[in-house]
Amino acid sequence: MKMIACTEGRSDKIEAFSLEMIAAARSVAAAGDEVVAFFAGQAAKAAAASFGAADRMIVADAAGSDLIPAETYARLLRDAVTAEQPDLVLVPYSANGLDVAADIAARTGWPLLSYVNEIKRDGETLTVVAQMYGGKVLAECVVKLPAVLMVNPGAFAEAVPSPIDATKIQQIDAKTAIESAKVKMVAIDVPDYADVDLTTAERIVCVGRGIGDEASIDIARDLATILGAEIAGSRPVVDNGWLPKLRQVGKSGQKVKPKLYLALGVSGAPEHLEGMSHADLIIAVNTDPKAPIFNVAHYGATCDLFDLVASLSDRLQAPPGR
Amino acid sequence: MNILVVLRMIPDSAGELQLAEDGRGIDREWLDFQLNDFDDHALEEAILLKEAGGATVTAVAIGEGANRVLQMAAARGADEVIALQAEDDAMISSRTIAATIAATARDKSADLILCGVQSTEDVFGQLAPYVGAMLDWPHVSGTNRVVADGAGLRVTQERGAGVAVTYEMTLPAVLGVQTASKAPRYVSGSKLREASKTPIGRAALEPSGFERSAEIRELRLPAQGGSGEDLGNDAENVADRLVTILAVNGLTANGLARK
Ligand SMILES: Cc1cc2nc3c(=O)[nH]c(=O)nc-3n(C[C@H](O)[C@H](O)[C@H](O)COP(=O)(O)OP(=O)(O)OC[C@H]3O[C@@H](n4cnc5c(N)ncnc54)[C@H](O)[C@@H]3O)c2cc1C
Repeated sequence: MKMIACTEGRSDKIEAFSLEMIAAARSVAAAGDEVVAFFAGQAAKAAAASFGAADRMIVADAAGSDLIPAETYARLLRDAVTAEQPDLVLVPYSANGLDVAADIAARTGWPLLSYVNEIKRDGETLTVVAQMYGGKVLAECVVKLPAVLMVNPGAFAEAVPSPIDATKIQQIDAKTAIESAKVKMVAIDVPDYADVDLTTAERIVCVGRGIGDEASIDIARDLATILGAEIAGSRPVVDNGWLPKLRQVGKSGQKVKPKLYLALGVSGAPEHLEGMSHADLIIAVNTDPKAPIFNVAHYGATCDLFDLVASLSDRLQAPPGR
Repeated sequence: MNILVVLRMIPDSAGELQLAEDGRGIDREWLDFQLNDFDDHALEEAILLKEAGGATVTAVAIGEGANRVLQMAAARGADEVIALQAEDDAMISSRTIAATIAATARDKSADLILCGVQSTEDVFGQLAPYVGAMLDWPHVSGTNRVVADGAGLRVTQERGAGVAVTYEMTLPAVLGVQTASKAPRYVSGSKLREASKTPIGRAALEPSGFERSAEIRELRLPAQGGSGEDLGNDAENVADRLVTILAVNGLTANGLARK
């Protein structure tokens, strides 16, 4: 069996989930199987220095393009798939992967499962566990090969980075695909982390849509101040303009690992968990006892968040020794 | 510009999801269905493009409550609305409906297809890349800004860690919208009533043209709670416990003040 593990990078760095895709492929590989890492982008050197867990690597080196649009990535991958005839293509659930996975599935006609957490091999088929309904339901599915899987970041432990032997690297031409692309990158905006850097915060109070409205953010902000914590938000809170973008935690926000993460009215969608599930101490308050945030919380409470914030602020504000 | 917007009705995942008796689906009988949030943003983006530079917007809806949502779409500015006949009690798989969306786009001479970046039922793949690949049109997912720019589009996409990437792309194209350039607008009751007169077209689903992606052997709810401790639902009790938990972990407010 041959597996292609899709990997990514921006600027001169590889994305950490690239090593997870290689590990996921390795986890189903038997003796004699082949794991081929596919990389398209500018960080070809970094990829070669890290992807030693793969048996081979196909590289579309796009020197000078900080980021390859998914359309171009998918086209290059398509060529590799045609040439290699793999049994399995693993694509990360990333901004790029969202466009790549179904594109390849549509053009090959192969099965596709998304939001995959577990892969097991049973002879010629795979048993795959995928998330549905914002992580509230798990689907165990039987998938025939060849197939495409879009794998959740964080579902597999990273392969140990090591250099890959130069003789195992095959370069493919990226230039033609980049030049003829219908989608061209014109700008990358990287935020200025000088104001707020949640990634180094020791304590975070995160509000979700359960906070209800903009005015109520202040209540949570006051609690954060008492706790010496940074205030953060889930995506809808930031989308509504109630908190600045730099305070978003999750897939398209920041990945944080504080000593304390207090989640108020956050459901715990996979895209949110991706940003915070490694925090040391997670306390979740949500009126829905089935909210997936409780699957990662160390302590969970199902009371109204406003009641809790009021009671907790009261107690923490009281002078010591009262 | 002709824009086609796709509106999918999905189970309200804030509500309780029960598994069906055969364990292969969720029990849809008592569920509330609502418009996929990302599709709502796609609709808004379509209307914003129409207001900015003129466009004809066709909205296609599928699933329980489609008619109601199409009236809302008309009230917000959609010019034509079509209800797609879904299979009864089946989840709305983007892989299955992609062929119909592609055919409708051809039929309406669409230059641009807008849909939400994902839905909670698209475990077999996302709509924008499926339709894009089937039509061989470029597609970008995860957009939070779309501007018509001459013969093409200027589109901003969200990446991780707050990084935003802007692309220029040619039309025709497909976009998987994450967030509209402006928050979806509110429609007044009077506008809704007026729009309720808009005739709703009907169309049937075409065969998907794809093999089935997988056989769902079993759906299950994730193990509840993990190893976490349940502090209950009494705010006063919870607050008492948390004061202790924070103190034990060296996380009290006072502990911090002394540092
Ligand atoms: C490509 C992509 C990237 C994404 N990136 C991110 C990201 O970076 N960060 C992110 O957060 N999301 C991200 N998302 C969105 C994610 O899928 C969810 O939609 C989002 O996390 C939901 O936010 P929420 O939990 O605040 O809201 P909801 O899911 O609406 O949850 C609100 C919760 O509040 C609870 N609640 C309501 N009232 C109260 C009350 N009074 N007291 C207590 N609890 C209450 C409810 O029970 C509910 O569980 C992304 C999605 C996509 C497709």
